[in-house]
Amino acid sequence: MEFTRSKSLSLGIELELQLVRAHDRDLAHEAGDLIERLAQHKVPGEVKPEVTLSMIELNSTIQSSYAGALAELEAQRAVVIEAAGVLNLGISGGGAHPFHDWTERRVYPADRFKAVTQRYGYLAKQFTVFGEHIHLGCTDGDEAVYLTHMLTRYMPHFIALSAASPFYQGEDTAFQSSRLTAVSAFPLSGHMPFVPDWAAFLEYFENMRGYGIVEGMKDFYWDIRPKPEFGTIEIRVCDTPLTVRRAALLAGYAQALAGWLLEERSRAPSAAVYQVNAFNRFEACRFGYAGQLVDPYARRKKTIGADILDTAAAIMPQATRLGCVDAVRELADGVRRGYSDAGWLRERLAEGGSLPDVVREASALWARSSGKT
Amino acid sequence: MLFGALLVVGLLGGELVHRFASLPRITGYVLVGVACGPHALGLIEGPLFAGARVIVDLALGLIVFELGHRFDLDWLSRNRWLAVAAVGESVGAFFAIYAGLVYFEYSPLLAACAAAVGTATSPAVVMVVAHELRASGQITERMLLFTAINCVFAYVALTLLLPFLHLEHSSGGRSAILHPLYLLAGAGLLGFAGSQLLLGIAKWLGKREDRQFVLLIALVVLVVGCARALNLPVVVALLVLGMLARNLDYDHALLPLRFGHAGQLLFVVLFVLSGASIDFSGLETAALVTAVFVVVRFLGKAVAILALGRLSGLRAGGAGLLSLSLLPMSGLAVVMVYDTAALYPRFGAELAAVVLSAVALLELIGPLATQFALKKAGETHPEPRAADTQLET
Repeated sequence: MEFTRSKSLSLGIELELQLVRAHDRDLAHEAGDLIERLAQHKVPGEVKPEVTLSMIELNSTIQSSYAGALAELEAQRAVVIEAAGVLNLGISGGGAHPFHDWTERRVYPADRFKAVTQRYGYLAKQFTVFGEHIHLGCTDGDEAVYLTHMLTRYMPHFIALSAASPFYQGEDTAFQSSRLTAVSAFPLSGHMPFVPDWAAFLEYFENMRGYGIVEGMKDFYWDIRPKPEFGTIEIRVCDTPLTVRRAALLAGYAQALAGWLLEERSRAPSAAVYQVNAFNRFEACRFGYAGQLVDPYARRKKTIGADILDTAAAIMPQATRLGCVDAVRELADGVRRGYSDAGWLRERLAEGGSLPDVVREASALWARSSGKT
Repeated sequence: MLFGALLVVGLLGGELVHRFASLPRITGYVLVGVACGPHALGLIEGPLFAGARVIVDLALGLIVFELGHRFDLDWLSRNRWLAVAAVGESVGAFFAIYAGLVYFEYSPLLAACAAAVGTATSPAVVMVVAHELRASGQITERMLLFTAINCVFAYVALTLLLPFLHLEHSSGGRSAILHPLYLLAGAGLLGFAGSQLLLGIAKWLGKREDRQFVLLIALVVLVVGCARALNLPVVVALLVLGMLARNLDYDHALLPLRFGHAGQLLFVVLFVLSGASIDFSGLETAALVTAVFVVVRFLGKAVAILALGRLSGLRAGGAGLLSLSLLPMSGLAVVMVYDTAALYPRFGAELAAVVLSAVALLELIGPLATQFALKKAGETHPEPRAADTQLET
């Protein structure tokens, strides 16, 4: 398995989106119709199916800055909204549909998804959750392994900043992000083993392939995973935010953070990060910015919100160099104000009184050209 | 007692045809109705019809309301070709049937009235088949939308033909204009008033599904009752009620409605009784006309849909399935015929002879067509297959 060489810190974004019916705001089953319709339009990047007919995935092309990614996502959004309107479908961000019944889901009729259903049974339909995946370009496999280990400490940031799935199956879960629980059910979820370099990773991978556990990297559902075909690492913990703007801001933050980690190299990867990872991850999902983060390097606890603000300050020089100062600043401002998409969704419930109201408002927000939140 | 027995037999009939012949359950209900009806065993007779009236009203009322509630003006304004296709479907069916009947040397007025009645797709059949199959998708949505539109079209067309009937069959020139006006404006106003009441009370009640469901039933029964008392077309009033409750709900006060198990009960009764009231006499005497009526009606509906399918955003092959799904014709047509017969008995009898045999035929094959179309379109909830759950070996 060759690691494709890419430009260090180049960006790519994948967004999984909800297709919503107009008459009752439940999930639709019309990904096939929408994708066929979009095939007639010129869309930058790609629009792809996902495991059930209630989802589509937008892929950006390779970008050097978050601003470029934002412009492209914005263009994609406009085309998708236009096509969805013809079919009377709403498009919504958010990590999970607030009240759909997973037993109602229908699997997308493609061999890959049929195989997933055959293997995973009900988990496949329950996997109708919606994430943002951020790709960061790496020059080689060793850089990918290093970044994967170093970024793991910061995964709670991405969970808290993107959290947008407070409701699940018609209930308020009390979580900021309930989506990751659906991912954790898969046997190959979790994180990459603590290997020192790409050669050691390859050895691990070949063992797993030899046992017949995996066929390729796509079989690992890790929070961050190297993607040698693309020459990237892929951050997979984010809920799809409610706006393309926030999706792009998160990519900007990831870029600045990775840039800083590569530049400073002040710490070495540590197995202790993985010992505290499950705790930190839960805190972020459940409490968002208010959750506790155990920093195994400093050997102390602080809130995730405070840690994001400290980190944002530390990475500013790199953010300036990479052209994503505004992204880091806007996210940090949001943390200070206590803004989260999950909170926004809960406010809509309080205002409207029912979960269909929440979905209607979220679809309307997605349909509007992106503004600051 | 007889009523209870009828329910059991109806339920079993539906289940039997579903399990052993993969037919829609409502075909089973209808067949049980036919078997127990006046033309066969004679178990269902006058008093039972009268006794079940409330249930039939409620069943039809809820169905027609929901159909109206699916009528989405926003969609039509975003997708103009869809609006054109929907109107074209109605117009196409009307003129196709009209031309067919005139060719068979029926009087133009009779042909026009029969064509108006024939334009409507059966709301009950499309709605219940869609529910039974848990269908959801573009074909399903458009089938319901087009049905709402062609029902309104049918009623308006028939009502606008009334002045000509007045002139042909009675004297007063003034009532020729005023009566149709009264019917349409009255039903519209009644529906509007009902929708305002519904939305107002719903807003006050808040977003509680159980209470809103009771409110909805109350409003449906109220509107049906008022329409009856005022001799207004019940179906138009209900459609307007549903349409306005959807499109004037600026505060989003109304929750999406679900029928649940109680709905099933209503549907069994509705279709058993509609089976019992099928009149097969025309099928023997006017077999050819009936066949032509059914075929040209289908072709008339299909032309606009096929022509505008791609433009309105249907996927390849969707237009044919949509046309097929709109085939059913049933109780609604019967009601329109009887309404006309109440005004002009002799003309009504002639109209019945033409239309009711088509109803008899389509009552049986319509649900099959709709089920076939929705299944073929892949919009029904998949039946669990052994392959999905078996252990991997």
